[in-house]
Amino acid sequence: MFELILNVLLWLGLAYTYAFHVLEAPVPVKVLRNPYALKPDVWPNVIIVLLLICVTINIVRIVVKNRGKAEFSLGAFFASVGAFFASRLFLGIVIVVATCFVLEPLGFMGTCFLMLFFYGMLLGERKVVRLFVFSILITLLLYVVFSVLLSVNLPRGTIPQARNFALWLESVVSQAQSLI
Amino acid sequence: MSTFALLQSGFSVLMDPYVFFMVVMAIVMGTIFGALPGVSSTMAVALGLPFTYSMEPVPAIVFLVAIYCSAITGGSITAILFKIPGVPSSAPTTFDGYPMAQRGEAGKALGVALGASAVGGLFSAFCMLLLSPQLTQAALSFGPSDLFAITFMGLSILACLDSSNILRTIISGLFGLLLACVGQDKMYAVQRMTFGSKELLAGLEMIPVLIGVFAVTEVLKQTRKSDRLDAKQGVGGGRVNTKMPSLAEWLKIKWVMLRCSIIGTIIGILPGAGATIASFLCYSTETKFSKHPEKFGTGIIDGIAASETANNAATGGAMVPLLSLGIPGGNAAAVMMSALVLKGVQLGPLLLTNQPQYLSATFASMLVTNILMVIVAMGIAKVFAKILAIPYSYLGPIIVMLAIIGSYATNMSIADVKIMAIAGIVGLIFAVCRFNSAAMILGLVLGEICENNFSRAYTISRADLLGMFSRPIAGTLMALSIALLVYPIVASFFRKKKPSANA
Repeated sequence: MFELILNVLLWLGLAYTYAFHVLEAPVPVKVLRNPYALKPDVWPNVIIVLLLICVTINIVRIVVKNRGKAEFSLGAFFASVGAFFASRLFLGIVIVVATCFVLEPLGFMGTCFLMLFFYGMLLGERKVVRLFVFSILITLLLYVVFSVLLSVNLPRGTIPQARNFALWLESVVSQAQSLI
Repeated sequence: MSTFALLQSGFSVLMDPYVFFMVVMAIVMGTIFGALPGVSSTMAVALGLPFTYSMEPVPAIVFLVAIYCSAITGGSITAILFKIPGVPSSAPTTFDGYPMAQRGEAGKALGVALGASAVGGLFSAFCMLLLSPQLTQAALSFGPSDLFAITFMGLSILACLDSSNILRTIISGLFGLLLACVGQDKMYAVQRMTFGSKELLAGLEMIPVLIGVFAVTEVLKQTRKSDRLDAKQGVGGGRVNTKMPSLAEWLKIKWVMLRCSIIGTIIGILPGAGATIASFLCYSTETKFSKHPEKFGTGIIDGIAASETANNAATGGAMVPLLSLGIPGGNAAAVMMSALVLKGVQLGPLLLTNQPQYLSATFASMLVTNILMVIVAMGIAKVFAKILAIPYSYLGPIIVMLAIIGSYATNMSIADVKIMAIAGIVGLIFAVCRFNSAAMILGLVLGEICENNFSRAYTISRADLLGMFSRPIAGTLMALSIALLVYPIVASFFRKKKPSANA
């Protein structure tokens, strides 16, 4: 049932895109006047139409194949949705998505540490102190490899405390570099 | 200058102990940079640029070429061990490399990847030395319709990627092609399918999507299982067996490597194409040439050899137009070009006539690099493999963090990190619904070049669709592609009919 619902949602999304979002700005007049120019909406429109046809066939195939099966019902679907929200997978997705959103305000150091610690816990690590120390060490290692050695400007964070900590760390690194 | 004299002058440059030492350093740097997710081969060459400031022009190009070649090879290490393609051109290596690593055959997979990389790199280096002017002329004769036909041939793999699931594979491929349309179109800069997001105006960056679909999806799948990576599941408890594949296995893939070396070199020469397109195209070509296409993606050495031979062959190809005409064949070649321009070198058609040492030194560097990097990369792979000995509760979060840094480092953009996370979730949904992530990535990689060349060819042929394919190369390739696209569909239709007829 999940597959069917996803395919229906995909179909609706494609139809919506076809209707409203293929072109989001006016086509230049010189392109419109040129009979030999391929208009910018033609290629995506052709792909969307092909996709709509293929997804429709797929929906029909799913319905025909699963008709009459006990698990192919809305009740079974809602039960599986409930189980999904209580699963580790859902928490994993939440942590990954949350990491992307806190990266800017919290900066690399804080985000990396929290991500390593909480995802480690999620994956079943019960030795909290060891995981805590490991998370700090890996955060520092990744910082040194990417920020110091490869000069990647990792985000400092927009929260004052996070930003001040990143600036302090950078000053420590530059002092160490000048000593070396 | 004779070929022998060219060789002599090239190797005389490398005989200088300082230059040789710098080449070895470049191989180590390039392999490590290539293995790190998000550090593309172009970025690796750019990171090596500051080291060349104090060098003479010829050692500088020798150094940068060594970084370029080894970075492309280094990408295969993480692709095989962690399913994270270090460079985008190693993405097809994950299809067969990672399943082999999971079966405890990481040593063999790495051996094939490194050996095939060396073969591809050496083949293209010889082509570059012996056939530079001819190859350049041939490449310049390729028009937009020919380029479209080549990319369309790559797309015709869609029907072969998973013959038991053709419809879902085609949907996945078309979805990838649609994703490639997001942002301003490259011909007229008209905004398409951005849904009001400024971040999407420049289009979907390939690296975050690749990392998301391959690395993040894999970690999420492991989270669902929520167990620890057993030593047997990994690569022998963190030890990589350095045993190379047997002679019989090498002989089995000799034609794969030859075909992919030729195709990879040609694709490398074509402007706008490059190692990524070469590796995907060769992987697709090999699924068609193979007697067992259904085994591709399950962990066979043919798939690794196809991808790795092609992407390394493209490195030599990319150097051909740079040295012959002063036109960079790809982004990494453009960085090398800027390094030479900084040194005051006059690039152009007269470079090889007046200063043939650039060609010979580049050739010598590629020769030495492609041989030495097998040893260096195997050593680095061993270090990387140690990471697999640690429990997954520690390794999984590290992979996610590497994926985040890799996506961010491409453009220093948080939006790319968000795109990576979305791609990871989409990859998971694809896996649950039995759609094909590899087909989606193929569509995304080839989509832009396919549309742009189709649009150009359409305008040049004055909107005559049949006229577009009247050129011999384009016509032949399109006919071949359509036959290859239709054949599996028709074959599966007849396979279904046969049992009922027998009954």
